[in-house]
Amino acid sequence: MAEYNGAKNKQDKKIVTHGMDISNLKLVDIIDIDFLQQFQDDFAKGVGLASVTVDISGTPVTKPSSYTRFCEHYTHSTECGDKRCAESHRKGGEEAARTGKPVVYECHAGLIDFAAPIMIEGRLIGTILGGQVLTDLPDEAKYRRIAGEIGVDPDGYVEAVKEVSKLSKERIESAANVLFIVANNMSKMAYQQRKLQAVSNILNDSLHQISATMEQLAASAMTVSSNQANLNTEIGNVNTVTGKINEVMDFIKDIADETRLLGLNAAIEAARAGEAGLGFGVVAQEIRNLSADSKQTVGKIKELTDSIKSSVDKTVGMGNETMMTVEQQAAAIQEITASVEEITGLTEQLSELANAL
Amino acid sequence: MAIQLVVFTLNEEEYGLDVSAVNGILRSKKFKIQSMPGVAKTIAGMINLRGQVNYIFNLRAKFGLPDEELAEESKLIMLNVNQSNSGCIVDEVTDIVKLNDEDIQPQPAFVSRSSDNYIQGIGKLQDRLIIILDPEKLLAVEELPLMATAG
Repeated sequence: MAEYNGAKNKQDKKIVTHGMDISNLKLVDIIDIDFLQQFQDDFAKGVGLASVTVDISGTPVTKPSSYTRFCEHYTHSTECGDKRCAESHRKGGEEAARTGKPVVYECHAGLIDFAAPIMIEGRLIGTILGGQVLTDLPDEAKYRRIAGEIGVDPDGYVEAVKEVSKLSKERIESAANVLFIVANNMSKMAYQQRKLQAVSNILNDSLHQISATMEQLAASAMTVSSNQANLNTEIGNVNTVTGKINEVMDFIKDIADETRLLGLNAAIEAARAGEAGLGFGVVAQEIRNLSADSKQTVGKIKELTDSIKSSVDKTVGMGNETMMTVEQQAAAIQEITASVEEITGLTEQLSELANAL
Repeated sequence: MAIQLVVFTLNEEEYGLDVSAVNGILRSKKFKIQSMPGVAKTIAGMINLRGQVNYIFNLRAKFGLPDEELAEESKLIMLNVNQSNSGCIVDEVTDIVKLNDEDIQPQPAFVSRSSDNYIQGIGKLQDRLIIILDPEKLLAVEELPLMATAG
């Protein structure tokens, strides 16, 4: 019965794809990074803002697209600037995750950034960060102060900030929204595909288990059938023995008949002998009594052998019914096996479709 | 005077024969009763008993009873009548009994007047009635000449 328990436990297991827990998927597991990179690069170039995608720990999974000189050469060039960037990104990301929507905010270095969360089933798996743009003309004094704070050349910094593209807040929000929608749809589709793969794998495993169980059932049906056939043969032997006992009983009955006749003839002789035959007559009577007893006993034994025979016949009848039932079971198992094979075929197609998505 | 009877059944009726006329009882299945052509239906045939030819009477035919095949239990009662050894087929020999005179009623008058009155009397044994047959008359006269020549 271990197989059945095994099959039951299977249902309690989590949905797993190739040994990977689907409830714990990472961004890199489900999104085609090359595709995202390409999209992100083209988008950034087309709209004129920078972008990078980070996973849940804040580690970039794509190369930065269209980073400004302001950020790349100045802000990130010092340890302090780099840290402030990371902190700024983290905050933006947190806000985005909390609201579940893209957030547009001003970064520590005074540029406009956005953070768009990538979610699966309400769970954050990564963030698309972007921006490095301005909505208005930069205030030089502000950037000189920030350059002082992070320890970069203030003149170069001011020079670099002037290169930063100017976009309206509306356009930044729209750009963030586009990235948000595309990335989330990509991850959603990928996630559904993974789920589909997982389900079809479970289905496949279960079907294999059903097939194996059906094979065992078919084998045990065969065993029951052959055991029953052997049982019928053995019981048939009992009938043969009973028949032989009856033959012996016929022989004993014949002897009893012969003895009785002997008694009758002896009685006749005794009667004809008159007075002299009296004693002999008594013996003759005893012989007749004895033969009558023997005959009665034979009758009783025959009743017993008859009852054995009728029991045996009943048993054989029931055995034949069992055989029929087992054969019907075997036929049913074959039908199920055929159905399972059909479903297995469909499941393979399903797996192929899931993998092709 | 008391009489001892060999009691037998034929067609579920009980008959008796004086033991002194009986030579012995045989199991019919141990013998082949060979039929003889041109004899009365009342003679079933003959058997070879210890090298002697013995004629066997068919009492069913004689009594006008429905004819039946010899049964497993059928017996031949061999009688010593008219200086010849012959016998008759009966369904079964059931008993040897002793009857006192008061238990025997003589043959009824309507039987005595008929030509083949082989009924000697009626024996009463508790509530059973036993038709006592006369062995001499049972094997009727018209059949005897044949037997005498064959004997």
